[in-house]
Amino acid sequence: MQREPVHLSEKELILAADGELSVRRRAKVNAHLEACWSCRERMRVIETTIAEFVRARNAELNRQLPPAAGPRALLRARLSEAAAATPGSSFWQFPFPAARVGQLAAGVAFVGIVLVVLTVFQSTVSAEGPKPRLGITPGETRPITVEEVCFYQRAEVVSRDIPNDMRQKVFAAYGIKPAQADQFEVDYLITPDLGGTESIRNLWPQPYSVRWNAHVKDKLEQRLHELVCGHQLDLQTAQRDIAVDWIGAYKKYLGENPSH
Amino acid sequence: MPIRSPIEDEVVALFEEFRAPVIRYMLAFGLPIADAEELAQEVFLSLFEHLRRGKSRANLQGWIFRVAHNSALKCRLQLRRHSDRFVYEPVLSMAAADPAPGPEETLAISQWQQRLLSVVRALPEQDQFCLALRAEGLRYREISEVLDISLGSVAASLEKSLSRLMRAEQT
Repeated sequence: MQREPVHLSEKELILAADGELSVRRRAKVNAHLEACWSCRERMRVIETTIAEFVRARNAELNRQLPPAAGPRALLRARLSEAAAATPGSSFWQFPFPAARVGQLAAGVAFVGIVLVVLTVFQSTVSAEGPKPRLGITPGETRPITVEEVCFYQRAEVVSRDIPNDMRQKVFAAYGIKPAQADQFEVDYLITPDLGGTESIRNLWPQPYSVRWNAHVKDKLEQRLHELVCGHQLDLQTAQRDIAVDWIGAYKKYLGENPSH
Repeated sequence: MPIRSPIEDEVVALFEEFRAPVIRYMLAFGLPIADAEELAQEVFLSLFEHLRRGKSRANLQGWIFRVAHNSALKCRLQLRRHSDRFVYEPVLSMAAADPAPGPEETLAISQWQQRLLSVVRALPEQDQFCLALRAEGLRYREISEVLDISLGSVAASLEKSLSRLMRAEQT
């Protein structure tokens, strides 16, 4: 009686297709494939299925990927910041070791909230005016108490200029060409007098020639400062509201129409 | 003008190579694209710190995906905790829900490919991760390290997933 040919298992064929067999086993499998049309056909089906799956997946996912230029420029800027910091203390860490753990946890939670709500925000207010991009400017705060916020007169705090090299990094991250730069003001998303940092994660280019412009945002910042220092609004809420949707915050605290 | 360190250039080169694969992988967690993009930045900033501290350079691809996997898990957990709006919806499932795919996209994804993607959506999450990592070029050993499962589990998972995909072709 003739012995029925022993075919390769599906598992073995997949391992062979993926190059995951030992050298010895691979040689045996290859020898079998040379001799067995049936297993060769099964191997062809596996290869075709993999190729079709990869093609479908890439077609579906690649069309959703934004161009790489903006994220690359942003990473460059953030790497420069990180490189300037002491090795081992990345730029988003806080400068006060004793308080670092709790503050970092609060910061992470805050950024998380911002990520969620800003995603919603991005899809709802685009028709009303310019907005920071979540992937580039999620908003970032430093540890600060209400007493520190209210100790200084607001004007003293916000008069700090943003260095030119940082402005250039922000423009590069947002894909703004040098010729267009004078149409924008690089602005803090969360103003420093409410605890916003001078990191690129808290800076964005705001156009001058729009209804909801930097002057309007200044009014909101002034109002939030007054509310926080008047103990009518907690600092975290003020930070979150201005980071998530500053136009919405303006309407909430100052009314529907922007005042210049 | 500040001098760039060679590590910065190296990290940017790796970003060029792995940004798209990392984001595609993180989309399998159902994260919004903007969050995946931001997490990718964090992954490569972590890589910069890793290299700057002189830590191991062995298998940086595996390292990148391991950090990406853990970051995506944490981000998804955080989104679920802080928002009742977040609904797990792997991005591959959005294809069918896209209200107006362009003509090129319609042509690009055949019915057969759509069927394959729907089979993938029906797989258990870990099998989807295995398949996604394999599709991004990771070897079984690397996948087992990223997902913290045995080599045998990776092989079994891929066999199961590919068998289902092949059966979809035959029906």
